[in-house]
Amino acid sequence: MDMKKIRILLADDHNIMRRGLRLLLEKQAGFEMVSEASDGREAVERAEATNPDVAVLDIAMPNMSGIEAAQRITALLPHAGIIILSMHSDEGYVLRVLKAGAKGYLLKDSAENDLIEAIKAVRQGKAFFSPEISKLLAEDYVREVKKRGAEDSYELLTSREREILHLLAEGKSNKDIATSLNLSLYTVETHRRNLQDKLNLHSLAELILYAVRKGVVS
Amino acid sequence: MWIPAVAETRGSDRLLLSTRFALTAGFGGLLVIVALGGMYGIRVLQKIRRDENQIRRQFLAKNHALNDLRSQLYLSGTYVRDYLLEPETGRAESYRASLGEVHQQMETALESFGRQLEPDQAEHYTELSTELSDYWRILGPIFKWDAGQRRRQGYAFLRDEVFPRRAGVLAIAGRIESLNELQLNAGNHRVDYLLSEFQSLLAMILVATLLLGSGMAAFSAWKILGLEARAHAQYQEVVGARKQLAELSARLVQAQENERRKVSRELHDEVGQALSAVLVELRNWSTDSGTQADAQSRGHVETVRELVENAVRVVRNMALLLRPSMLDDLGLVPALRWQAREASKQTSMDVSVAAELVSDDLPDEYKTCIYRVVQEALHNCSRHARATRVDIRVQQEPGRLSLFIQDDGQGFDAKQTKGLGLLGMEERVNRLAGKYQIHSVPGSGTIVTIELPFSSNGKEPATRGHEKDPNPVSG
Repeated sequence: MDMKKIRILLADDHNIMRRGLRLLLEKQAGFEMVSEASDGREAVERAEATNPDVAVLDIAMPNMSGIEAAQRITALLPHAGIIILSMHSDEGYVLRVLKAGAKGYLLKDSAENDLIEAIKAVRQGKAFFSPEISKLLAEDYVREVKKRGAEDSYELLTSREREILHLLAEGKSNKDIATSLNLSLYTVETHRRNLQDKLNLHSLAELILYAVRKGVVS
Repeated sequence: MWIPAVAETRGSDRLLLSTRFALTAGFGGLLVIVALGGMYGIRVLQKIRRDENQIRRQFLAKNHALNDLRSQLYLSGTYVRDYLLEPETGRAESYRASLGEVHQQMETALESFGRQLEPDQAEHYTELSTELSDYWRILGPIFKWDAGQRRRQGYAFLRDEVFPRRAGVLAIAGRIESLNELQLNAGNHRVDYLLSEFQSLLAMILVATLLLGSGMAAFSAWKILGLEARAHAQYQEVVGARKQLAELSARLVQAQENERRKVSRELHDEVGQALSAVLVELRNWSTDSGTQADAQSRGHVETVRELVENAVRVVRNMALLLRPSMLDDLGLVPALRWQAREASKQTSMDVSVAAELVSDDLPDEYKTCIYRVVQEALHNCSRHARATRVDIRVQQEPGRLSLFIQDDGQGFDAKQTKGLGLLGMEERVNRLAGKYQIHSVPGSGTIVTIELPFSSNGKEPATRGHEKDPNPVSG
């Protein structure tokens, strides 16, 4: 881990919640609170002004929702990691949040347990979900597979494809993967296309979600 | 509200009565005129025919009598000649007897003819009878003649006395005949006059009938038009009332939906957030106090935390049951998928959702309609149908939005069973001018199909503009 402090933006319209999280983060060595915001639009403005490493956004804020703010911040600062705080333990929200460019999804009632870990993961480009969410998604997946009596599509993947799925879900780019597996970029792209076809997934967001459901990443 | 309505009813009753009276009187009068006119016409025609017959009969009878007289006169002349020219006494006597008979017959004929005569013919009749009696009187002496006298004077007598007299009688008879003809003509004229009188009367009746009839027709037409206008107005009123009712029920549904959304959001955002904040504070407190706190107070804090977590769960479930936030935050399909997952979790059904090209930002009414219909259908499937598998398919095509829900449950008789839930579905679909169909056969599952007219280019057809959600995402 680098010695540089992780610079954090925190946005939540509920003062008590924000204060609680700020207290938590300020106590953490290696973290630096650079800015706070109480609505979505302010969060985007503050992010643009302070260029944080990680933005922690409440999903529901006045003026602009956390999802939209995440989308804009991703567009402005492609390297910033974004964590969404949410009360919804539903796959629909997780998918929407991932599509907006966020990498972390934390349930609010347990946010302070996992926030620090999540910030560290997201800083490194990895996805992070509350354990409850991972568990829920995995359970749904298992139930679905059981009910349909269908073959587990994961079984269709080759070990190389699984490896690549794993790395993609962790936030690695095709190029990173090519380097770390000592493959050509073209080969990685082919593997990725094959595995997406096999799993019938159409975006990175769906891919990450699938990985979480399978328990490939947490 | 009631009294004017009753008064109006009474007023319209009175109006109806007077109208009925007028119509009855008018058409009754018309019928009476036609009937009386007809009866009178028949009577006049009968009278005319009777008169005509009588005139003809009289003419014929008089002519007949006159002809009888004439022929008898000729016959008498013949007998007189035969009598005068017959040398044999026996035969002459027989001619004389025949002559007497003819005389008798002529007297009778004259008498009966006289009875048939009109007063204005009396003069001619007297003349005729005088001439006839003269004729017979002149014949009187010849019956005393012997055969020699007859032979000597007979021919001269015939020529000088009998034939001229007979010609005189015949001339009078001819005059009477022409008079008779004149009378026939007069009778015919009288009949003609009666006929023309009848004709003008008929014309009058016709004109009166026509006038009254057209008056009645105009009145009836006016009345009918008035009634028609009123019926139309009432129909419009009924249509308006029905529309109002539909609008009211639609607004009711909308209000209920808005209220649910509001309460759901309030629970989720305010109560839920506050409880979450309490949880955060509690955890901060327990980490801050760390080891200094004794086990007892840590136990208390732990209990409070569990209670609050439980409360958060309850509040969230309540909010989702009222109206899932996904419907407003994520759109129809994620909300349906969530519902399907929940149903799969809570029941033994396997619920699948397939959505084709359904846009995320459907207008609120459409989202809500489809969501609630699916909710109701799933409820029915698990409660009544005991289905094990439910397939939900939403399809957006140009101009319409379709929903199919198929289950493998018991099915029911769609014609007989119509609970409040099904009515509610129908109501929502009708509001969006959609088509709604339930195909169900007992024992072989149910297919619910709804089809909503919908154009995706912003302008929603056949419905009020949906309310903009002021707070699009809840956390």
